[in-house]
Amino acid sequence: MSARAGIVEHVTCLGCGCACDDITIVARDGRIAEARNACALGAAWFGDGSVPDEVRVHGASASLDAALDAAAALLAGARRALVHLATDVSCETQRAALGIADILRGAADGPTTATAAGGVLAAQRRGRAGATLGEIRNRADLIVFWGVDPARRYPRFPSRYAPEPPGVFVSGARAVAGVDVGDAVAPDGVEPRLRLDPGEELDALAALRAALAGRAIAAGARALAERVAPLAERLRAARYAAVVYDGESASGGGGGGDTRRAEGLIALVQELNAHTRAALCALRAGGNRSGAEAVMTWQTGFPIAVEFSRGAPRYRPDEGAAAWLARGDVDALLVVGDPAALASLPGADAPRVCIGPRASTARPEAVVAIDTGVAGIHDGGMAFRMDDIPLPLRPSLPGPRDALGVVTALAERVRRAAAGRPA
Amino acid sequence: MTRLRIAGGMVYDPANGVDGEVRDVCIEDGRVVASLPDDAPRLDARGLVVMPGGIDIHAHVAASSVNAARRILPEEHVRDPERAPALEGGGGRSGTGGTVPTTFTTGYRYAGLGYTTVFDAAVAPAAARDTHAQFDDTPIVDGGCYILMGNDAYLLRQLAAGERERARDYAAWLLGATGGYAIKVVNPGGVELWKRNVREVRSIDDAVEVPGVTPRAILETLADAADALRLPHPVHIHCNNLGVPGNVATTLASMQAVDGRRAHFTHLQFHSYAGERGKAWSSAARQVIEHVNAHPGLTADVGQVMFGPATTLTADGAVEYLLHASTGRKWVNIDVELETGCGIVPYEYREKAAVSALQWVIGLELFLLSSDPWRVVLSTDHPNGGSFASYPELIRLLMDRAYRDERLKGVNQKMLAGSALADGIAREYTLNEIAIITRAGPARQLGLTRKGHLGPGADADVTIYTPNADRAVMFSTPRHVLKGGVPVVEEGQLRRAPSGRRLHVRPAFDEGVTRDLRRWFDQYGTISFDNYPVAPLRDPAVGEGA
Repeated sequence: MSARAGIVEHVTCLGCGCACDDITIVARDGRIAEARNACALGAAWFGDGSVPDEVRVHGASASLDAALDAAAALLAGARRALVHLATDVSCETQRAALGIADILRGAADGPTTATAAGGVLAAQRRGRAGATLGEIRNRADLIVFWGVDPARRYPRFPSRYAPEPPGVFVSGARAVAGVDVGDAVAPDGVEPRLRLDPGEELDALAALRAALAGRAIAAGARALAERVAPLAERLRAARYAAVVYDGESASGGGGGGDTRRAEGLIALVQELNAHTRAALCALRAGGNRSGAEAVMTWQTGFPIAVEFSRGAPRYRPDEGAAAWLARGDVDALLVVGDPAALASLPGADAPRVCIGPRASTARPEAVVAIDTGVAGIHDGGMAFRMDDIPLPLRPSLPGPRDALGVVTALAERVRRAAAGRPA
Repeated sequence: MTRLRIAGGMVYDPANGVDGEVRDVCIEDGRVVASLPDDAPRLDARGLVVMPGGIDIHAHVAASSVNAARRILPEEHVRDPERAPALEGGGGRSGTGGTVPTTFTTGYRYAGLGYTTVFDAAVAPAAARDTHAQFDDTPIVDGGCYILMGNDAYLLRQLAAGERERARDYAAWLLGATGGYAIKVVNPGGVELWKRNVREVRSIDDAVEVPGVTPRAILETLADAADALRLPHPVHIHCNNLGVPGNVATTLASMQAVDGRRAHFTHLQFHSYAGERGKAWSSAARQVIEHVNAHPGLTADVGQVMFGPATTLTADGAVEYLLHASTGRKWVNIDVELETGCGIVPYEYREKAAVSALQWVIGLELFLLSSDPWRVVLSTDHPNGGSFASYPELIRLLMDRAYRDERLKGVNQKMLAGSALADGIAREYTLNEIAIITRAGPARQLGLTRKGHLGPGADADVTIYTPNADRAVMFSTPRHVLKGGVPVVEEGQLRRAPSGRRLHVRPAFDEGVTRDLRRWFDQYGTISFDNYPVAPLRDPAVGEGA
């Protein structure tokens, strides 16, 4: 990859959870000159591919070896270490990083807890009726955008998945419907359209379910029932309906309201499957955050917010990284991935080791910072699309040291250090 | 060179005709050898039972569906924390159990039962990469996976066009692209129908898409493909109408449809019901097993139901909707693009529930009326009929009539009238037969020439048990387990957890199919054709090297 000019095709973009894998990267002089097929968000994610390449300990340049020693010493000496699986690293790197939390009897979390826990918790209560994005593309004859215009944060969703592309089992144009929830609006021009105040959303979901199930409506809810009736009719008439909503809460913080909303949507689509076929699609952001959930799930049994202080995973979904940091519970923080999202959290100034893309730019500055490549630009491996379809990452530029190698080396040092301390 | 002489044990190696003889098993560099010098290190196995490592021919342990199940079972995981084992040199990993344990815990617990090889029985091709990543985190056991093809849109198109050779080439390409071991069929055509809101397959001659595309045609085509490609394992079939009363008709028709070909029928228990929907069910085990007994080309695993918690998890989405609707339990459905489906419902089999009791009885009848243990082997369809952790209890039920009859008295009798087990079956499995249905038989069915036996050249996967009249105790606590010659369990303690190998095939095919496939992907795929195949696996394909 040292050539001055190069073209790499079929590159997977992690700019959002769509994980479009049809990007062609044109590189010149060690920089990305063009990201063909990428949307504006994707182009911004790739940028020119330049990232810092530093290894720092206490603010001074250091050898990788010295930095790994310092990082292992800091982590192994901690009473309660937190490993944060941040964005833009591969599943392979996430797997190794989670092992560090386990061996240290620390805690681990990923980006989902702060922005999308509601959907996770709701699905743990009820399950979910879903589909991979390609099934929606090839089968759904009705797409309902529920309080979301994908153009904003998932720009190629309409052209790659639905409603625009042809589908094997879809003849002619698909039907589209929209639901506006306050200022969370469906795409412009989508008709029919149901307009709801945010305070009405849960009642509207319940009314839709009742309409589908043919249940009687309480007198006080008749007006709402009449407003949702046309949408209920469309849903029921579809052969395969896809209800698309934004799984990432715009404000962050993902409280109980998000869980109830996700649960209402899940229940609606499950009920719909008593009559016709339907899938709920939660749009999710990028950076392989879905990979962090998947890896945490297969290694610990829990997709978010795990702690190991008793030697085995315990689930703390009502806490998570932000709560632990704010409470001052964390005396060493290992961030694996892009550190930007954590910078603003209260308590994130706990002594930190940052390993990942742009680690050296973290502020306040980490005790140990090791810059690595970005998964999907410089580093290879595997990442998950928002629907848990795993995709390969194709490096298109030479970068700094790869994150997997660094985290694996750190894990080995931590293992040796931990073997020497009392259980 | 690492050498070990397992000295003086009672060896059960049915593939080599050894039935409880006292003899030595010699191991060198991970393989069984004919002899070793007298000064080689010895493991004193006098008074102990020595068998090849166990082989699970059908379980769900490392698929995207399995992880979807783990994700919705926090309540099970909270109740079953598993601390890291104290491995030599450290590096053990913690996890959680329940019916769908985490990856590290899965590897440790299988090894802790003396199992050293496990196949994941249902992998959506588009998610095969996920399976390999999960297997990479599942230590000790060698792993392989079966690739779901029975509802694949491209494959059904080839059938519609009468292009059975191209269908075969596609199957071969898909196995290589996914790192799979065998062709899996789940509810042939029925999952595609479920996606079209058609919830029932009345017969294997129902048209799925266009005339000519029927469950029968799918079964024939894929059974022929497995034979023509000389795959080590035949097509692995989960019939239509799983769990439906009266499904014995479909099951027998499916068996007849593949007559003259090799075929493996999986979790037979779930397909051996007489009766009608909405009316009483009864056992059709005798009809089904008599057909299997009379047809030497057929093999099967039982899919025994064990009382207690389970998680039903299958590519057969329609079944899971019915289970959700009838139990009210939480339910996951995931339709996988152009390939297959996935459904998950947590479940509990209760002694006092009539259907659970009937299912338990039918599974035992299949075992006890089977005339050939080489062809009818042990499974619970983990975690569908129960966890793999219940295998020792199942072995006890097979080996101990008094215990079995006592348990039978405690179950709901409502649907058991006329069943063979209720009428009394005296048979008790011998240790040799247990070694067949858990080791030698699965190895033979899978075409694994280096596994399931202890002759020279075999992988040194060995389990050593302390004999105990309570067979459940005996089989749940092996004294020693070796995997590839590495002592993983010593004196009952898990001490080492080497990585397992990946078992996969790479059959040859006419490359012409890839031109057509590339067009198909360009038109309808959401994954680039070039990104679809998994990264080359570390281990060579079976039949291609050491």
